[in-house]
Amino acid sequence: MRTELQFSQEWTNHFLKQIDEDGPWANWELFKLAIEAEHHRAIPSFTGLQAPSHLPHLTPHPYQLEAARRVVEEMNGKAILADEVGLGKTIEAGLIIKEYMIRGLVKKVLILVPASLVSQWAIELNTKFYIPAVVQRKSYVWDQCDVVVSSIDTAKREPHRSIVYEQQYDMVIIDEAHRLKNSRTKNYEFVQHLPKKFCLLLTATPVQNRLDEVFNLVSLLKPGHLGSFENFEKDYKSKEKNPEDEERLRSLIKKVMVRNRREDTGMEWPERIVRTVPITFSPEEEDLYRSVEALKKEPISTRSQFSIITLLREICSSREAAYMTLKKMLEKETLDEVTQTFIHSLIKKIESVPTNSKAEKALELIQSIEGKVIIFTEYRATQLYLQWFLKEHGITSVPFRGGFKRGKKDWMRELFKNHAKVLIATEAGGEGINLQFCQHVINYDLPWNPMRIEQRIGRIHRLGQEGDVHIYNFATKHTVEEHILTLLYEKIQLFESVIGQLDEILTRLGMRDIEKHISDILLHSESEGEIRIKMDNMKELINYQKEDSNASRKYS
Amino acid sequence: MHQENIHNYLRSYFLANDCHILQEKPGLLNVQLTIELDKELMNRPFYWHYLEKTGGTPRPMNLTLITNQNVEENGEFVHFGAPRLHQIFSSTKKLASSIRLYEEVQTSFQQQYPLHPWLGLNIKISYQCDRKKHRLLSLGLHLVSGAVVDDFHNLLLKKALTPKIPDYAFTVTPIIKPASGLKRLEGVVEMLLAKEDVQWAEEAQMRWASDQHLLDQFYLGNTNDQRYEVEKEALRKQYEPTITAEIINGGIFHLVPGIESQPYPT
Repeated sequence: MRTELQFSQEWTNHFLKQIDEDGPWANWELFKLAIEAEHHRAIPSFTGLQAPSHLPHLTPHPYQLEAARRVVEEMNGKAILADEVGLGKTIEAGLIIKEYMIRGLVKKVLILVPASLVSQWAIELNTKFYIPAVVQRKSYVWDQCDVVVSSIDTAKREPHRSIVYEQQYDMVIIDEAHRLKNSRTKNYEFVQHLPKKFCLLLTATPVQNRLDEVFNLVSLLKPGHLGSFENFEKDYKSKEKNPEDEERLRSLIKKVMVRNRREDTGMEWPERIVRTVPITFSPEEEDLYRSVEALKKEPISTRSQFSIITLLREICSSREAAYMTLKKMLEKETLDEVTQTFIHSLIKKIESVPTNSKAEKALELIQSIEGKVIIFTEYRATQLYLQWFLKEHGITSVPFRGGFKRGKKDWMRELFKNHAKVLIATEAGGEGINLQFCQHVINYDLPWNPMRIEQRIGRIHRLGQEGDVHIYNFATKHTVEEHILTLLYEKIQLFESVIGQLDEILTRLGMRDIEKHISDILLHSESEGEIRIKMDNMKELINYQKEDSNASRKYS
Repeated sequence: MHQENIHNYLRSYFLANDCHILQEKPGLLNVQLTIELDKELMNRPFYWHYLEKTGGTPRPMNLTLITNQNVEENGEFVHFGAPRLHQIFSSTKKLASSIRLYEEVQTSFQQQYPLHPWLGLNIKISYQCDRKKHRLLSLGLHLVSGAVVDDFHNLLLKKALTPKIPDYAFTVTPIIKPASGLKRLEGVVEMLLAKEDVQWAEEAQMRWASDQHLLDQFYLGNTNDQRYEVEKEALRKQYEPTITAEIINGGIFHLVPGIESQPYPT
């Protein structure tokens, strides 16, 4: 089949008019220069990357160039960029956008990122790639600027939504795309309706917990690549695990996903030095903890009113965190008297706790460290408490939360960099800020999902980090924390192993929801001994799979 | 494009636009812009508008361009990816869109000589699907005999050309009018393309068909879904092979006869 030639007539009409009017005619030197310029600008081949020659200040790593090349030449410009945290997915995305812009295949680009990253993206694209990206602040920006960076929450709301749909975007980029894993959300639906001629989804945790999340992500990018939803369910979920099916699925995903791991990059990375810091409860704290633990033995009518595991985890973090949860319970109208009395007795116990053993340990550690420290906690109440507590001891700290507006996030980061010793971040705040100028991370309480701990560490163990990275895991003795630490972080050697690998293993084991597994074990075991045995079983299973995958890697 | 090439390009561009070079050393160029070039490059319409309204003295800017990073002076670093260079490339193209030139010959005894009219076009062909490449063509059409030569621009570079008709030259009237000359050259381009390999377009069609097939499966025939329509159209834009020809520049060239006897095999 022959492709018809479109001959642009614009020049022709102009030229004929000039002949009629006998000029004005161009200067011969300029005429020659125009042709010289076109020779420099013309792209001689469909393949290869033009972008590097346009970016003399940027020295991408070989794996980043290879990623860009694969996306353009093998994936036709639709890909999930899923490098481990800190390997520079933004650089890969920038190279790809630049490549398409140079080739004249892309003019209008929509970049959707978490609010905290909007300005960072715009700055990087402008300074590193000479891409005139504009932050969406006024509604006319959609129409008048070719490359727009916005948060998805802004873009999906009216009046923006309609204007966005009117634009003819050549390329859509979505950062932290794992947030789109649920196909029933408004965000998912919004992105699904966007025309995606070329599309990049960036995420460090593509297979977080469940297979259908991967399905949703891939279907957003390339609907049908993994079949229809019905067939996918049938082939991969209901049946007994069939290794051939799994293999087929993995090879399909590979066709649309670039995933570099630290160990594959062939680069020298700073070390991760992991230390466990055991905490001993004070007698009052111990008493409080055991009282909640004892709830497990109460009749179901009482027991079911409490989320016991949550409370236990909160007590390990701070009495403030536990107090907030109890207070919220009291506000419920349906509470029976027994429960109410119990809550009140717990609150009394909380009030009698004089000190926070963990916070004191943290203080001691921070004082012994010369550089800056990041503390991660899961609880907002703990965050507030720690900030107060550190201030009491003359240590300046900066809070960081996901809910901060983008300007505030940037500002907090700068404050931390230039003026404060400690940054205290809650989980949601961990995503997407780069803190490679800091070398110490305290995991004040441990998330139960291994991927989230990797997100945390990835904030500092990333490109640009020059020193070794120190990780301190706090765990209170004889509590749920100790079980988690023993299982996830010591026995499976999460910190030393490659995160992508663990992710694969959990997926294969069908334990994508590891948090729930652990909760079940902790809640439904009669004794400490039983917990230990069940956790050991889990560990054996995971380690067995890990060796298996190590072996198969060696031979592939 | 090497940094030295960029330097030379910039110098030629400013000189060709009648700018005065205030300072030049390896890796550095300091240019006094003319009013026209200030308006062309510096993007300050309000200043010029204001000046025209108030009748003040125009002060076009002077521009320091650095082409070697080791030069430690204030100025704008220009490299192959710099927006400034691409602005100047585009400006060159805009300012040099069409031309008329005459060949100059040293003649003895004040002998008169004839010049034959040619239509010369420099053309950029774009081949586009989800990928893209270009091919540049330079074609000349002898407006007397209809002969076509390839690589016309390189041929012109070997000649002495001038915008005014030389004293002893006289032009031969064209038999082919420029408008029909343009049509003829379009025909030549089409014929050249017909001889090209079409594998790239066939492969793009296959990629397109394959993705379209997946899309159909995903929506299981539910083609009324708006999302289906959006995706389908996006696939067309992504993969549909197109070839476009754009004229970079061109003109009428009055040349000493002879070239038309070695025409391009058509």
